[in-house]
Amino acid sequence: MERTRVNTAVGIFLLLGILALGYLSIKLGRVSFLGASGYVVIVDFPSVGGLKAGSNVEIAGVEIGRVETIRLADYQARVTLRLNADVKLQEDAIASIKTKGLIGEKYLKISPGGSDKLIPPNGRIREVEAPVDFEELLSKYIFGKV
Amino acid sequence: MTLHRRGFALAVVVLAAAVLGSPAWAGVPTEQLKSQIDRVLKVLDDPDLKKENRAHDRRASVRRIANDIFDFSETAKRSLARHWQSRTPAEREEFVQLFGDLLERSYISKIELYGGEKIGYIGESMDGDLATVRTRIVTRHGSEIPIDYKMHHLGSRWLVYDVTIEGVSLVANYRTQFNKIIQTSSYAELVKRMKTKQEEFLEDERQRRTSQK
Repeated sequence: MERTRVNTAVGIFLLLGILALGYLSIKLGRVSFLGASGYVVIVDFPSVGGLKAGSNVEIAGVEIGRVETIRLADYQARVTLRLNADVKLQEDAIASIKTKGLIGEKYLKISPGGSDKLIPPNGRIREVEAPVDFEELLSKYIFGKV
Repeated sequence: MTLHRRGFALAVVVLAAAVLGSPAWAGVPTEQLKSQIDRVLKVLDDPDLKKENRAHDRRASVRRIANDIFDFSETAKRSLARHWQSRTPAEREEFVQLFGDLLERSYISKIELYGGEKIGYIGESMDGDLATVRTRIVTRHGSEIPIDYKMHHLGSRWLVYDVTIEGVSLVANYRTQFNKIIQTSSYAELVKRMKTKQEEFLEDERQRRTSQK
């Protein structure tokens, strides 16, 4: 009798531990498997240079969504963003890929526009700014002057 | 003989056109942009306008052409972004004028440094009523500077509303600057700053012209 009670307690404890571990990995990995919230927008970049799935999408430094996928479409990088439902983007919003600090990670910055038309879910941000390739720029200044 | 020579000249022109740009794919936006840029180059190459004391006329004619291909009101609207919505029609008109002056100060004065750089038309992509014309300026040192013109369709014409140099957008640049000024002070302050800058510039010009005389 005593033994069964101990066994049950250990079982419950173990189960709680597994649940906590599961919760932690979902939270840390930012996996959303219970139907993702927010809406999706597409952006085409000539190059994404270091942006990854999971990178932040920010307006004024505030996170408003994440990069969901990046794939190649017509030799361009097609980036799918998942944005919070309460964030509305104007049609002339500009998406640019920026670097945190000089050599930090890449993130996607959106500067809101002034148009009265909004980008609908599954719509596209048409104004983009590709990341500035410092190495390329540097090589131009090094090798440019002949 | 003359026919022969003319044929040769024609072949050279066709070859030059094929090498320098405007290839067969060139769509309407590229064509319209190219014709206006060619007009600007013609003005800049005009030996009559190259004289010291004609700098003002030269700039004026460049600005006139710029007005034909640029949609300054759209560029101003996009640069002011969210703050455009809350402006009255009179304020908008004033801002477009000030913004045009700002662009003239910063870019049209630079264009006078042009010294025979070649412009290549690389490609064009169209997306509904928007188009991007990709060009490249080859400097005398041989380095290439990519310049993209974003154009939109208005009536029968394609007008430029944004220019991207080396991947940096003009509208995005001014949008950040204007937003910062308006957020930290006010729209009135922004207009005041733009006005004083323009007055200073005009004053400088006046002094330069009187000292030349």
